Amino acid sequence: MLTFLASEAARDLRRAGRVGLSAVLLITLSLAALGCFWLLSLNLGQAVAQWRERVRIVAYLRDEPRPAAVDDFLARVQALDGVQRVRFVSRAEALSSLKRSLGAQASVVDHLPRNPLPASIEVVPTPAAATPDGTRGLVERLAALSEVEEVQGGAEWVDSLAQWQRLFQLTGLGVGAVLALAAILTVTTATTLVLHARRDEMEIMRLVGATETVIRLPLLLQGMAQGLLGAAVALAALVGAHALVAPRVEPLLTLTLGLSRAVFLSAPEMMLLLAGGAMLGALGGLLAKGRAYS
Amino acid sequence: MISLRHVGKTFGAGPARHTALSDVSLTVEKAEFVILHGRSGAGKTTLLRLLYRDELPSEGEIEVAGFDVPALRRRQIPRLRRSIGIVFQDAKLLAGRTVFENIAFVLRVIGTPRKEITPRAFAALKAVGLSARAQAYPTQLSQGEAQRASLARAIAKSPLLLLADEPTGNLDEDMAGEILDVIRDIWQRGTTVLLATHQAGLADSLKRRTLTLHAGQLVKDQG
Repeated sequence: MLTFLASEAARDLRRAGRVGLSAVLLITLSLAALGCFWLLSLNLGQAVAQWRERVRIVAYLRDEPRPAAVDDFLARVQALDGVQRVRFVSRAEALSSLKRSLGAQASVVDHLPRNPLPASIEVVPTPAAATPDGTRGLVERLAALSEVEEVQGGAEWVDSLAQWQRLFQLTGLGVGAVLALAAILTVTTATTLVLHARRDEMEIMRLVGATETVIRLPLLLQGMAQGLLGAAVALAALVGAHALVAPRVEPLLTLTLGLSRAVFLSAPEMMLLLAGGAMLGALGGLLAKGRAYS
Repeated sequence: MISLRHVGKTFGAGPARHTALSDVSLTVEKAEFVILHGRSGAGKTTLLRLLYRDELPSEGEIEVAGFDVPALRRRQIPRLRRSIGIVFQDAKLLAGRTVFENIAFVLRVIGTPRKEITPRAFAALKAVGLSARAQAYPTQLSQGEAQRASLARAIAKSPLLLLADEPTGNLDEDMAGEILDVIRDIWQRGTTVLLATHQAGLADSLKRRTLTLHAGQLVKDQG
């Protein structure tokens, strides 16, 4: 029976002709657009997650504590809410770090009459605290310590990156939804045409005692097949575009966002896209059925 | 096989109300061949449609092949219809399928096991004398052949009851005779037949029990 239903659905798909093809194309377009924004959002999301891990707050100290007092001071900082890790940077360590970063011009430092750099602590916030509000609170707590003179650092820019990510997500969903709606309407039209073409067949089926499931399932299946086909083409287009574009934009991504490579949809995400296409098609088939029976 | 008790059917309401059948009671026994005769508009088609639950009666009780027809739920209707073969004045063959495919299609949609489809379709074609035209499309058939194909489709699922609604209405005398011969063969194999016709001559020639409908009422039960 399943083979029969599938073959009837294939027959219906052929009957849908150009309208059926348009439906497949529209589903391809809507899912490709959705997939594009999804990919952008996915890569930005990776960057955001990566940068959240790199958020550091530096607290400059009034005076360098005595070596015996460092551990006690670090333990007090570690106990503050939102602190994942803390590292003490002595004045000498700060100076050698400056020398390293100056490279060939490091000798300039040797001409200084004394070490001008203050001792500091580098605080890594917990993931929950690596947000603008979280870091603001942590900065306030650090600034309240008597040993601390000035605090620098925050996560505002990471948040603005996250806002871009949300924007891409919303735009993707909006464009995808409009195109998906058009696709559903086209599948509905294609299925309605099939229904008209199948009118005699359905009458015979009812008269001879076919169940409603057997009569209606091919319509649903052909809608699903249109959706699945559209989603598969969209996915193939996305894979092709990613393979073509990713090597060209990866250096730029590394430079701007610190991403080593442009990521693609995972296997479950690809399955979700295919299932989304099938559902769009099935919805079109269902709506046509409702229209025909109403 | 068929039992109707005080069955009535009206369409519409108010001034547009039309009574198609009124207080019809009858029984048809298993393996009986019964002619339902009446002019156009007498209520023959309505009566047949009530039997295969294409319409619900306005009043009365109907029993067909053990089914309480008006009481059937929507999902139970296919079970009733699988026990009935129906033939119309126009053959209602599917244009895009060959004669064989038309029959196989019906067997498939009612869930006949795949390996049984071909032998049963060919057996039905043989029974109506149409084996040689199995691969012909409906447009390539004469009206008589199309009606025989329609009969083959109706009997392929081995129905207990054959309802024939004006099966010879579109045919000339010779072709009509051929079709009646085929229907008689089907009946002789044990299928109950209820044949509706407006042709008085045809009813007389068959020399079978004849129910006469007039203006929605059963006026004669003869033979």
